[in-house]
Amino acid sequence: MIRLDNISKSFGHHQVLKEVSGRISQGEVLAIIGPSGSGKSTLLRSINLLEIPTSGRVYIDGICINDKKVDIEKIRTKVGMVFQQFNLFPHMTTLENVIYAPIKVKKIPRNEAQKLGKGLLEKVGLGGKFNTYPPHLSGGQKQRAAIARALAMEPEAILFDEPTSALDPEMVKEVLNVMKALAHTGITMVIVTHEMSFAREVADRVWFLDEGQLVEDSPSQVFFAAPQTNRAREFLEKVL
Amino acid sequence: MIILDFERVWPSLPYILEGVQVTLAYTSVSLLLGFVWGTLLGLCKVGHIASLRWFAAVYTSLFRGTPLLLQLILIYFATPQLTGYNISIWQAGILTFTLNSGAYISEIIRAGINAVDKGQKEAALSLGMSYPLMMKDIILPQAIRNILPSLVNESIDLLKESALISVIGGSDILRRATIVANDKYLYFEPLIVAGALYYVLVMILTIAAQFLEKKLKTS
Ligand SMILES: Nc1ncnc2c1ncn2[C@@H]1O[C@H](COP(=O)(O)OP(=O)(O)O)[C@@H](O)[C@H]1O
Ligand SMILES: [Mg+2]
Repeated sequence: MIRLDNISKSFGHHQVLKEVSGRISQGEVLAIIGPSGSGKSTLLRSINLLEIPTSGRVYIDGICINDKKVDIEKIRTKVGMVFQQFNLFPHMTTLENVIYAPIKVKKIPRNEAQKLGKGLLEKVGLGGKFNTYPPHLSGGQKQRAAIARALAMEPEAILFDEPTSALDPEMVKEVLNVMKALAHTGITMVIVTHEMSFAREVADRVWFLDEGQLVEDSPSQVFFAAPQTNRAREFLEKVL
Repeated sequence: MIILDFERVWPSLPYILEGVQVTLAYTSVSLLLGFVWGTLLGLCKVGHIASLRWFAAVYTSLFRGTPLLLQLILIYFATPQLTGYNISIWQAGILTFTLNSGAYISEIIRAGINAVDKGQKEAALSLGMSYPLMMKDIILPQAIRNILPSLVNESIDLLKESALISVIGGSDILRRATIVANDKYLYFEPLIVAGALYYVLVMILTIAAQFLEKKLKTS
């Protein structure tokens, strides 16, 4: 459903992505791993054009989205995103956070959105927090609410950018559990993560990124058992 | 020996007090319109359209770089000359104060928008929101909340500056005080009364600002 075709990105003279190509199928769980600064976030953000690639093309469902004629807002409703820093809207209650875009962007009726939003918040374990404002939620609760917010648009794919990196250790698990439950339910998940055991357990495939290059693209069993490249092997030795 | 003669001013007190309404009318109407105008200019400043960014920058620079009194006199006397339209004192005052406070408020709004966490914009965009929707419902509400104390300060400035309207004959607090003064050949007392009135109004706004700031901090 997602295809990257020679994506390069430079900030000034600094080339952050170097001709990255790859495919992600519908329903697949892909983990993107690699050293910090290797371009993982930039790559992820290119998929919904929060970063505009300097060259190369991004295809979603066969449509090239970095074509000027494409309605990028419509594409973004198909590809949700979950951020390291949660980025909940602090001036809205948890439920309003979840139902705002379905109502204002997708134009679904308010009562329908409320039913959907409450159901999703219950699913991520926030049934009692509908009317709480984000500053009063814990980190883990914020991230679970952010996942519910992304799900409320009923996207085909969700991009996760280090969703547990800003969390206290005791809250990592509750977020990973929500993501585990979501995996292999039909939604495509692209997850930038440093949680190697989670990637190993949940991901179908792994992309290993180093210095802006897609160095290795392997099924996750293969990647973690016997990485095909030296650079990936060295990286795994360091982090495992 | 200097003898202060407030007795002779008492009968004129209601007349000066009526100026409070006038001063407040100039201040509040200009503040409201200036806020709308300043928000539009602020949006131009952070937007993607180069010509609007340029316009807003030059506009602000001109209105901040010249005396307000000059702007007021220019608008009051030059409007009839240039357009043939006989502008009233009220209209000239509101127009000048609006255009001028809009310049200051646009800077406050711009800073407020830039201070909103970048992640808010990214979250909004990633949900498929359009730029105007994002500004209206996500960015501006947070920006304005953060700049409320600055906006109260701007309203205090405006309240004091509105006294300039007396120069072209607007019957505000200062103008009425000077009329009483000229009438009774008594300057110190009526002007002190005027000063006290401005001071009380400013203090009310200051206390409101402190209250607001405390409330924003706790919520
Ligand atoms: N907006 C930006 N402007 C300039 N440099 C950037 C910007 N975003 C990222 N970079 C640089 O690009 C490189 C890759 O960043 P990033 O994609 O965030 O890496 P990762 O997510 O793998 O840690 C880093 O060196 C970072 O400093
Ligand atoms: Mg990153």
